[in-house]
Amino acid sequence: MPHARRPSVRGRRLVLGRRAFLGATAAAGLAGLLTACGADQGSPAPGAAPAGPPRPGGTLRVGTRPPATSVDPVTMYDGSSIALVQLVAEYLVWLDEDLRLQPQLAESWTSGDGGKRWTFTLRRGVRFTDGTPMDSSAVKASFDRLLDPAHKSAAISAFATILGPGGVSAPDAATVTFTLQRPFAEFPYLVSAGNYNAVILKADYAGDFTRSAIGTGPFTLTSYDPSTGASFARNTGYWQAGKPYLDAVDVHFYADDQADLIALQGGEIDTQFLSVASLATPLAGSGGIVVDKAIGTALTAFTLRTDRPPFDRKEVRQALAYGLNRPDVLTSIGSGVGVLGNDHLLAPAFRGAPTDLPQRAQDRAKVGELLAAAGVPTLGFTLTFDPPSRDYAVTIQNQLQQVGITVELDQRTSSDFYGGNQATDTPWLFTTANLVAWAGRAVPSQLITPMVTSGGVWNGSKYANPALDRAAAAYDAAIADQERAAQGQIIAQALREDVPVIVSYWSGTVRAFNGATFRGIRAHPSSYVDFRSVSRV
Amino acid sequence: MTVGSYLLRRLAAIPLTLLGASLLVFAATVVLPGNVARTILGREASDASVAALSAELGLDRPLPAQYLSWLGRFLTGDWGTSATLRAPVRELVLDRLGASMLIAGIAFVVLVPVALGLGLLAGLHHDRWPDRLISGVALGLGATPEFVTGVVLLVVFAATLHWFPTSARLPPGAGSLDTLWHLTLPVVSLVLLCTGYVARHVRASTVTVLASPYVRAARLRGMSSARLVRTHVLRNATVPAASALGVQLQFLLGGLVVVELLFDYPGVGALLLRSATDKDLPTLQACAMVLGAAYMLIVLAADLVYRLLDPRVRLGGAR
Repeated sequence: MPHARRPSVRGRRLVLGRRAFLGATAAAGLAGLLTACGADQGSPAPGAAPAGPPRPGGTLRVGTRPPATSVDPVTMYDGSSIALVQLVAEYLVWLDEDLRLQPQLAESWTSGDGGKRWTFTLRRGVRFTDGTPMDSSAVKASFDRLLDPAHKSAAISAFATILGPGGVSAPDAATVTFTLQRPFAEFPYLVSAGNYNAVILKADYAGDFTRSAIGTGPFTLTSYDPSTGASFARNTGYWQAGKPYLDAVDVHFYADDQADLIALQGGEIDTQFLSVASLATPLAGSGGIVVDKAIGTALTAFTLRTDRPPFDRKEVRQALAYGLNRPDVLTSIGSGVGVLGNDHLLAPAFRGAPTDLPQRAQDRAKVGELLAAAGVPTLGFTLTFDPPSRDYAVTIQNQLQQVGITVELDQRTSSDFYGGNQATDTPWLFTTANLVAWAGRAVPSQLITPMVTSGGVWNGSKYANPALDRAAAAYDAAIADQERAAQGQIIAQALREDVPVIVSYWSGTVRAFNGATFRGIRAHPSSYVDFRSVSRV
Repeated sequence: MTVGSYLLRRLAAIPLTLLGASLLVFAATVVLPGNVARTILGREASDASVAALSAELGLDRPLPAQYLSWLGRFLTGDWGTSATLRAPVRELVLDRLGASMLIAGIAFVVLVPVALGLGLLAGLHHDRWPDRLISGVALGLGATPEFVTGVVLLVVFAATLHWFPTSARLPPGAGSLDTLWHLTLPVVSLVLLCTGYVARHVRASTVTVLASPYVRAARLRGMSSARLVRTHVLRNATVPAASALGVQLQFLLGGLVVVELLFDYPGVGALLLRSATDKDLPTLQACAMVLGAAYMLIVLAADLVYRLLDPRVRLGGAR
């Protein structure tokens, strides 16, 4: 049966049922139990410092959750599907572990017309695994497909107001030109892995990826079962000489994160696509397991409706922001993997993020002053969220209770929380206060434009600030780093002052692997997968 | 009522009950919030894309039309395609049901002698240390959720000692021994969970039987303890166990969600959970139908066994 609408919230306090409590206890105890059973706890991490030449060959066994739905690069959105596709298909530009752009199928790119026209020169000699040359017609077709509403890709949202249908041209076989609707200085990020749907597929791709997965990537898909997993073999015609080092990758689906972790501990898999920080981190150094970490740009936004009481008063929103103990949130909810947030959307991991804004910290006296100034002596509100944000919601409730603010928790199922109509009633965009988990983005604009500009498609706070809108447009258009940084500063200051969204921390990611057998596996801020340089130890 | 006519009547009721169940499942699915098209496309897809996919999936039609369309196809053997997995539902569900029946069958075969033996032993040693030990341990294990015993078994015997695999998923072409090796830990986890319930029933009825006048009379006639147990206690004490085992078998078939997830086993319970969460109606309805049919057949079988063990029981009426 589907989950009840509000399965475990009674009154004002979140009450865990017996089963949920025991489940949480079991999950919490699992890491300790596994660590305690580790054969060589405390030993140096064998894979931490790769040395010597790579050893070609071998099969890497990977565990991950089953894809949310059938794997289709055009519509995929979950981490498992994205990782599976990234083994087979590639982007014009790769986004590396430090969020830097790395040429992949495009060798170079230039901009013109003040950032409104972008020209990409394609890598020559690259072929799809069926022998078809990868040329500008395939690239144009790939982007035309994403921009065509009939294909229902979420990438349309990423390109909204920037690139529309008809904006892609192919002047010759090795050149692709994008003509934008407005200047966008960081456009290469939008055709990179940072816009994960933007993989280059054959012009005649018909939506049957798992049956005939044709790409230019380092591996080819040899079998796929939606219930059990997938197998990949080395692409012997891969354009990068000598790579990949691995002969094969076997992916095993685990519907349960604990089962995935136990399989890693038991040596039945070598790594994971989507390691859970709270489970995997305690295992570092135990039984040869290495846990690599990456600072990310994902966040859980504590969104406040600025157009209705009680959060139509700026002082009330600021009071909440001063009521939170961010280091505690980062430790308990973020497993210590990540960095503190400062209530703006320019994560420290973004290039040119502001560094001189004072870090907001818990200040109980200030909470009282702000609420008094707003004429709200006692504050209470309902916080709406879905199960993945439950622990964060409970933490917020407890922390705000300590400063005299009452929070009623309203847990919905994920399908309820994200269901409904985005223009009229969906809970994640229309409730008074809510928690929304946002996947990591490549550039701040991918968060700022939809979330906090006037009329942004996912502006759940209904925040409207013409000055911020102007700064956001200027930020997008700024070719020079200095100008972009200046506009970023304006945006960050406005958000920090007005607090439409509380950002208490930026999530990091981890990837656990068996360092005794493989090396070269890295965590990625968006949990993307690049196994080209993975080799046996 | 004869056994034959009783059987016919019960079998005839199954399709009607399933029809009612399918209506309830359909109603529950449409009443609960959420949209399978949104699940497929993700929250960042536009409303227009979600509406277009909903239309493609036929979700924009009137509810009676959706239900009748599904029912008509289902009755003609076309179980449809899973909206989220994009795989034929019939193969998906029947494969998973077969997998669940395998693990349930093995667990049941282990459970019956273990639970009967322990229950008898406890009953025969009523209020002495074997009884207290068995009752205490059985109660404790029965009250421990399978995700706790399962995690402990996995960590100790799979992840640390490497005696068993962490995944119960059977490799292609697995032989009997390989199958048993893969299924040992989930089966042990299930047997630990279910034994207490059945053993307590057997123990209680054993104590009752031992205190009955005919057993006392048999003792006074000098019947040996072994014969007493064999001829009087065993049969009478296992009658209540039949219904308890029927309840456990129903659980073993469709209620294994936690064990299936923890031991990475592709059973129908996990599929049922996933399809319900995703609002994948064709898959959910098919799971409900096959599990509903299985439940009713198990209950029927338990009733027949009950009748077989105790001829005094009247089928389909008062005793």
